[in-house]
Amino acid sequence: MKYAVIKKEDLNKWVEHLKKTARLYAPKKKENQFIFRPIKDVNEITLKYIPTILPPKKYYYPQKEKLFRFKIKPFKTAKAIKAFEEYILFAVHTCDIAGIQCMDVIFREGPEDPNYLNRKDKMTIIGIECLEYCDKYANCTSMGNHVPRGGYDLMMVDLGEKFILHINSEKGERLVHGLAYIKEADEKDMLNLERVREAKKKVFKEEFNASLIKVYETFDKHFASKVWQDVGRRCVACGNCTNVCPTCYCFDVMDEMELSLNQGMRYRIWNSCQMDDFAKVAGGEDFRKGRDGRQRHRYYRKFKYPVDKFNRYFCTGCGRCTRTCMAQISLVETVNSLLAEEGELR
Amino acid sequence: MKKQSKPKVAFFDFTDCEGCQLQFANMGVTLLEITKLVDIVNFREVMSEQGEDYEIAFIEGSITSDNDVMRIKKIREKAKVIVSLGACATIGGVNGIKNRTPLEIAKQRVYGEKKETVNTIIAMPVHKVVKVDYFIHGCPIYIPEVINVIECILMGKPYVVPNYAVCTECKMNENVCRYEKDEECLGTVTRAGCNSWCINNGNRCYGCRGLVDNPAVDGQKDILLKYGLKLEDILKHFTLYNDSVGEKYDKELK
Repeated sequence: MKYAVIKKEDLNKWVEHLKKTARLYAPKKKENQFIFRPIKDVNEITLKYIPTILPPKKYYYPQKEKLFRFKIKPFKTAKAIKAFEEYILFAVHTCDIAGIQCMDVIFREGPEDPNYLNRKDKMTIIGIECLEYCDKYANCTSMGNHVPRGGYDLMMVDLGEKFILHINSEKGERLVHGLAYIKEADEKDMLNLERVREAKKKVFKEEFNASLIKVYETFDKHFASKVWQDVGRRCVACGNCTNVCPTCYCFDVMDEMELSLNQGMRYRIWNSCQMDDFAKVAGGEDFRKGRDGRQRHRYYRKFKYPVDKFNRYFCTGCGRCTRTCMAQISLVETVNSLLAEEGELR
Repeated sequence: MKKQSKPKVAFFDFTDCEGCQLQFANMGVTLLEITKLVDIVNFREVMSEQGEDYEIAFIEGSITSDNDVMRIKKIREKAKVIVSLGACATIGGVNGIKNRTPLEIAKQRVYGEKKETVNTIIAMPVHKVVKVDYFIHGCPIYIPEVINVIECILMGKPYVVPNYAVCTECKMNENVCRYEKDEECLGTVTRAGCNSWCINNGNRCYGCRGLVDNPAVDGQKDILLKYGLKLEDILKHFTLYNDSVGEKYDKELK
C-alpha cells in the first residue's frame, strides 16, 4: 500500500491508537500561539496551526541534554541516558520535516552524534501538508518545502471529508496496517490529491525575488553589503532567531556538580552565534564582535556555507526567525534587499 | 583521611530589604546540605551568634553611607572571598532610584528638617567600593544559581554570569513572548541566569539582574516604538533597578 485514506470522523480513533504504540507529541494551543506537547487528550491537538514557538527540534536535540554522569574520586563516568523511548511526532509541517533532514546531515557527519542518532532512531514522523500559508512570514515556497519532499513516515493531506496518507516507510506502514477504518486509496482519492496540489500552485508563490541559486550567488558576492549594517543596527542580540530555528544546532558543554562536590553531570545546552560572547576566545579576542557580523553569520549559515559543504540550504522557510524577531528583522526582506543590491550593481 | 575544616561563612547586610537572605534561609533541606560543606558563623536572620572569624562573606545590600564604606572595607580585609548577593549589592538595585535626584534634595525629601543628622552618599553596588569575587544577581536571588555559585567558590573556580539576554532562556522554556500579548518586558536587554523565572510564572522581566554588557540601545528603541511604548515609560522600567549603573544608557536613550 502506497496511499491510504482515513475519514475525518475516524481520526481521533486513529490518534488514540497511535498513543498506545508510542509517546505522542503534537501541536496544541498555548495562549495565542502553538507548541508541540505530549498529548494526553486527543482533542487538545490542533491540525491547523502557525509554526510552533520552538520546532519539534526540542525532542531530538533538547535545549539542555544530559550527556553523562561523572564521579571524581574514584574517577568514573557513565552514560546519563541508557534507554531512549519510542515517540511519534504528529502533524509536523513539511518545513519542520526539512529541518529534521538538515539535522540528520549535521549529526550524521563524522564523528556521529550518538544522542541525536538514538533519538532519531526512536522517532516516527507523521507530517501534515499545508494547503494554505500559515501566515505572511513563511518563505517555504522559495525553499521548496511547501510540498512534502520525503523525510517522513506518513504524510497526511486534507481532502475535505478525509485525509489521504502517503506511506513512506515500513514504520509508517505498521501504523496504518490492520485497522478497519484505514483503507487503501482509490483512483478518485488520487485524483483529488492531484487537484489539491494543483490548487496549491495558485496559493503558494516564491517569496524571494529570484531563484535559490541566484540567492546563493548573491550571498557569495555581498559579504560586505550595507544590508548587514542595517540588520545589525536593528538587532538586539536576544538570540530568539537562532533558538527557534529548526536547523541551528550550536551548543555549549557544561559540567554541573552536585553538592557533594564529588559527583556531577555533563550536559550540553543550546548556544548561539547571536550571543555577545559566542566567538570570544581566550585572551579576549572576539571574532564577531558586532551584531551586524553575527546576523550575517546566521544568514550565511543558511544560504551559503551549508550549500558549499552539504549541497543543502539550511533555511526551511518556516518563517520562525522573522515571526519571533523583536526587531522585526525579516528574512525575506533581507534576502530581497541583497538581491536588489545585486540588481543595482549590474 | 584527615578531616579538613570547613570554610567559615558570614552574611552581612547593608541597605536592602534582607529579602535575599530570606531566600537563602528558605532553601530548606538544601541549606542543611550546604552546612555540611561550610560553617555558617554569622547570619543575622537565622542565628544569634555573630562570629567575626570568616573566610567567605556574602554581602547583601548597596553601599549608601560613609559608615557603609568603612564597614565593607573592613570586611574586605578579613574575607578571602566576597560575594555580592542580590540586586542591591550587584547593581545598586532599587536604591539607585535615589541617585536620580541631587543628594541634598533626596535627603530633604526623606528626612525633612532632620536631614543634617543623616549621613548618606549616592547608592553604589558593592564592587564600586571593594573588589568583589562572585556576583549573584537578582531581586530576589535565584536559588539554583546560588547553589551553582557556592559550588564554584568551594571548588575555587570562577562563576561566569551569563552575558546574553533573558530572552534566550525564555525561548528555551517556550514561553509566549510578552510582547506578542502587548505586554512590555525587559528580557531583551537583561542579563540571563534566572531561567526566565518571572516570565515562566506569568510576570514580566523587570531587569533586576542588570543589563547585558553590550545592550543594543538603538535596536531596543525600535522595539519599543514597534510596540507603541513611550520612551518615558520604558525609561522608568529600565531604571527601576539599573539607575546606579545605567546612567550611560539613560543618556543614550534620551
